[in-house]
Amino acid sequence: MAHSEPVRVGVYICHCGSNIAEKVEVQEVRRYAEEMEKVVAARDYQYMCSEPGQEIIRKDICEGLVNRVVVASCSPRMHEPTFRKTLFDAGLNGYLLEMANIREQCSWCTEENRWATEKAKALVGAAVKKAVLLEPLEERSVPVNPDTLVVGGGVAGIEAALKVAEAGKKVYLVEREPSIGGHMARLDKTFPTLDCSACILTPKMVALAQNEKVELLTLSEVEEVSGYIGNFKVRVRQRTRYVDPVACTACGDCRDVCPVELPDTFNHGLNNKKAVYQFFPQAIPNVFQVEKAGDPAPCRHACPAGVNVPGYLALIKERKFAEALDLVREALPLPAICGRVCFHPCEEQCHRAQVDKPLAIKALKRFLTDYEAKTSPEKKPKAPEETNGGRVAVVGAGPAGLSAAYFLAKCGHKVTVFEKEPEPGGILRYGIPEYRLPLEILKHEINQVRAVGVEIRTCVEIGRDITLDDLHDQGYDAVLLATGALSEVMLEVQGADLDGILPALSFLHDVRAGQRPKLGKRVAVIGGGNAAVDAARTSLRLGAREVKIFYRRSRLEMPASPEEIAAAEAEGIQVETLANPVRFLGEKGRVVGLELVRMRLLEEVDKSGRRIPAPVQGSNFVVEADTVIIAIGQRPTLDLAVGKWEGELQFDKGGRVRVNKSCQTGLKGVFAAGDLVSGPASVVEAVGAAQWASAAIDAYIRGEPLPVVEDRPERTVPFPEEREVLPLQRQEMPELEAEKRRRSFAEVELGLDEEQAVLEAGRCLHCAGCAECLQCVTACQAKAIDHAMKDEVRELEVGSIIVATGFDLFDPSSAPQWGYGRYPGVVTALEFERMVNASGPTHGKILCKDGKEPKAVAILHCIGSRDKNFQEYCSRICCMTALKYAHLVREKTGAEVYNFYIDIRSFGKQYEEFYQRVQEEGVHFIRGKGAEVVETGDGLVVRAEDTLLGIFREVSVDLVILNAAMVPARGAQKVAQVFGLQTGNDGFFMETHLKLEPLKTSSDGIFLAGVCQGPKDIPDAVSQGAGAAAEALRNISAGKVVVSPVSASINKELCSGCRVCIEACPYRAVEYDEEEEVCTVNEVLCKGCGTCTASCPSGACRVACFDTRQLMAQIEGVLAG
Amino acid sequence: MTDRSGTTGDLSGFQPRLVGFLCNWCSYTGADLAGTARMKYPANMRIIRVMCSGRVEPVLVLKAFAEGADGVLVSGCHPGDCHYMEGNYKALRRRFLVEALLEQFGIDRRRFRFQWISAAEGDRLAEIVEEMVAEIRLLGPLGRARERLFQADHLSLNPAAGGPSPA
Repeated sequence: MAHSEPVRVGVYICHCGSNIAEKVEVQEVRRYAEEMEKVVAARDYQYMCSEPGQEIIRKDICEGLVNRVVVASCSPRMHEPTFRKTLFDAGLNGYLLEMANIREQCSWCTEENRWATEKAKALVGAAVKKAVLLEPLEERSVPVNPDTLVVGGGVAGIEAALKVAEAGKKVYLVEREPSIGGHMARLDKTFPTLDCSACILTPKMVALAQNEKVELLTLSEVEEVSGYIGNFKVRVRQRTRYVDPVACTACGDCRDVCPVELPDTFNHGLNNKKAVYQFFPQAIPNVFQVEKAGDPAPCRHACPAGVNVPGYLALIKERKFAEALDLVREALPLPAICGRVCFHPCEEQCHRAQVDKPLAIKALKRFLTDYEAKTSPEKKPKAPEETNGGRVAVVGAGPAGLSAAYFLAKCGHKVTVFEKEPEPGGILRYGIPEYRLPLEILKHEINQVRAVGVEIRTCVEIGRDITLDDLHDQGYDAVLLATGALSEVMLEVQGADLDGILPALSFLHDVRAGQRPKLGKRVAVIGGGNAAVDAARTSLRLGAREVKIFYRRSRLEMPASPEEIAAAEAEGIQVETLANPVRFLGEKGRVVGLELVRMRLLEEVDKSGRRIPAPVQGSNFVVEADTVIIAIGQRPTLDLAVGKWEGELQFDKGGRVRVNKSCQTGLKGVFAAGDLVSGPASVVEAVGAAQWASAAIDAYIRGEPLPVVEDRPERTVPFPEEREVLPLQRQEMPELEAEKRRRSFAEVELGLDEEQAVLEAGRCLHCAGCAECLQCVTACQAKAIDHAMKDEVRELEVGSIIVATGFDLFDPSSAPQWGYGRYPGVVTALEFERMVNASGPTHGKILCKDGKEPKAVAILHCIGSRDKNFQEYCSRICCMTALKYAHLVREKTGAEVYNFYIDIRSFGKQYEEFYQRVQEEGVHFIRGKGAEVVETGDGLVVRAEDTLLGIFREVSVDLVILNAAMVPARGAQKVAQVFGLQTGNDGFFMETHLKLEPLKTSSDGIFLAGVCQGPKDIPDAVSQGAGAAAEALRNISAGKVVVSPVSASINKELCSGCRVCIEACPYRAVEYDEEEEVCTVNEVLCKGCGTCTASCPSGACRVACFDTRQLMAQIEGVLAG
Repeated sequence: MTDRSGTTGDLSGFQPRLVGFLCNWCSYTGADLAGTARMKYPANMRIIRVMCSGRVEPVLVLKAFAEGADGVLVSGCHPGDCHYMEGNYKALRRRFLVEALLEQFGIDRRRFRFQWISAAEGDRLAEIVEEMVAEIRLLGPLGRARERLFQADHLSLNPAAGGPSPA
């Protein structure tokens, strides 16, 4: 039909039986249409969609009477395809059709006939006006990729995948859990036949796994879908198992050695499984996997040296003390020292602190070294078998220097450490007092460093005895500067030069060097850091009568560790905060006291985030003291001759050496780490810095790109909310009594014993999952485990997609009236399924939490369903599962069973018969919803109104099973967004038509199967799976599908090339033609949304069927009259 | 059909004329659902189907007012639900432009509503129509602003008379 002919519109009005005709005066509408311009025929019929109805239209077209058609009937979403075909059959282009929706949007939603008729007239008028401007369109067909994607490996997905594969077509099955099987794999028996669920499901699972047309992608989720029907591109993220599925033989050796226990999600957390585990015995694929949260545990994240804390705690729990210490030493060569002096930021972050107290991580590390010293004192770390010829000079034998030397020697470099003091150790040797860190321990640990091949030369001061240039001449490949921050900051107030005023570090140094500095009876210590507390406690041990610490801020801001302050106070030392010295008072050149001023804290904070202290006017006071020790800060100093090294050393204002992110100083080949770079910090921070510096030096010598100190990952794993964590008492560190230690340098902390250590390690929550202790790697003979594996991203191309993402159960803990989560005797349906299952946590025994068989069991129906407070829909399976549970309880225990129900809905094949059978088994049925579950002295009581007897009932039971509603699977909303699906108010995915198109979605080529579309039982889910497969196979079999010709086009004559449409198009369907300087639309990519048309400023861009002129005509139409 | 006894005075008989531009996938389907569920709402709303709310250019809204509408509704899928990924966001951005334009013509911005209505929210559609009818009844007929719209030739509200749309 050439459209250049004059337009002749035919209007066909449907009565739809009485659906339209009872509200709309059809004849009046017909007459209205007849009067309209260009309308040549207006007819009405009982059912326009019926064959005789369509014949009326066909006849008018065939006779040449009409060449545009308006059908006024139901929604175009219903019958537009029907009438398009009518037009095509009659030889007219099907796109010369316009529908007026006078049923859904008129007769059905309008109260009064008069208004409905007026509205129908307006809608028909608009359709006629638009129809006049319609143009014929050519339908396009696109080839269909024969591969299919099934999302979700429950029984519906399995059925769908199996059917497609058995038809000889390739299927990808994506499942987010480690195995296919879904909820059905967790069930025990299935109603109404009482088949064993696994027995009937596993053959299908195996058939699927063995079908060569099927590719299983477990632990996988679809991240993105693009393309269109027949030609989808899908991006799938496959999370790593950390186990090679080909090599794994599922022998379970790894599981046997794994020390970490985590809740078994397959059993709904009713028991624990190992961190390396098989999902369930019949899992497909039949391989193990490692469970990791992805982000590090907070303790490991907080540790500046990144020590694998959960790893060694897990090994301590298993009494594998040597292995545990080896794991510590991988990141920390000074465990005995850190086990004593570390400020343990790990413990501050420990998630267990949210339940009771954090793990005693520092004490456990020390225990490991105590244990080694006791059981194998001669044990030495292995020196590398080969050296690689690199030579490194480390300047300074403090924690940073020693650690870096150890790491570098482990890498095979020859390392020499230069130390100016007679003994190595730096601040450890000369700054930390004996009672905190016995010399013997320090020496042992330094010998461990020597054992890996490190040479330590003492009494060599760089800059005095030997210069950096000398090191250059001696052929060192690299130098690490780690001289610390040992210059003391002194108070610049009146009288600071009096005798008896000592800098803290020199004081501590002298004591550690074996001297006994002369002290007075009254000692005042100025400062709030660990050096201040150390000086105070040391003074006490040297015989001072009275020791006082003065600090200018409040206790909250004191940098010293709270344990140290507490220990000092226990020994009788007084701590006076918010007091600052203004001058020292002297007699005959000797200090006799000091004048202080009271301080207060301002609201403002300084750079360190602490509130700024300010003096309180007129609050000065005087304190007597014959010795004053100043401990107000330290800074790095370094004085070197560096002529022979290329470049120059740079320092910041605080005297710190400037380095880049690879620990390099301005001198080529010279690196720096530790306090020299950071300013005064802690031992463990020095070790962390040494790790990076040694890695950088190693790479530098090997000529490889230098690693960069990365910013710490921001995220740690959150508290495991889903777990029930019971409080367990923390094992506290035994200490020497305060009285005994006042006059003794004997070590204060005594260490945990073996039993305490094992108990304490057992408190770890393993919040990050696998502890990466690597025991499994050693145990696996097949060498299948690799903790370095990474997630993979796959790009799939498929023609059809079947979404079968299933459901979750309503969480009854949000409804306190039923007691779930409060009373251990209240379980959900799925928990009961696992309990009654032979492979479940109780091996199939029905037990209360106390381990006894129940004498009476209540089953509550409609928990969270048929309930305005939660879900209004009927969850459909619960009546039948309740009957099944009643049968199983009677069979296994003989207990009395009470069903609390609203209605029994036994609608399926053989369901009613099963109901009869269960009634005959002596099960009690109480018609009334379980209103409340309460705990009394004797057990649980279910309260309900018995609506048959009209009485209120209270039934005592031992176990309550809550038949909770099926709700959309967690993440369903995200699935809807990824696949472009729509969800109903209940959250389930919407089908195209509730009754007639239950498997199709508004996204062509994407089909639904199973419970993701709405609650259903296994027979229905399986049927839908097969049905969805048929939908996919239909397209595959046809080889091509017709796609809508509704697409945009751009008129070159009008296009100004502004390219606004390119920005507007979500599909990148618009391109700019450089030669012609206009935009063009790629029709294959265009989906016809018309957003480009709406944005085009010159009216060049048109979208078929919804063009501006057509819409304007429609507007005129609806508002005419 | 409308009882337009006057632009002032007793408005009890005033029946506002409303035009709704509803996207095919969510809001139009929601309107179908309202009908299927036999929810009753005022017949004042005349729905025009577009494939996406992103299709609705400001001139269509002005055209509706010019042709006699007293109120206009544009409705699309909820954020994140758009069948065309982001058309509803484009519509949202255009909403503010439309509101500014309407003010320039002296049209109360309460006459224009922009709503997210999903395919499952038939009740919401019915509710919004009721609200709009009630609100615009209070505002009264559009009145003389309509003439100003017609005088604005550059808006090309009558494409048949040689507007930017191609012949």
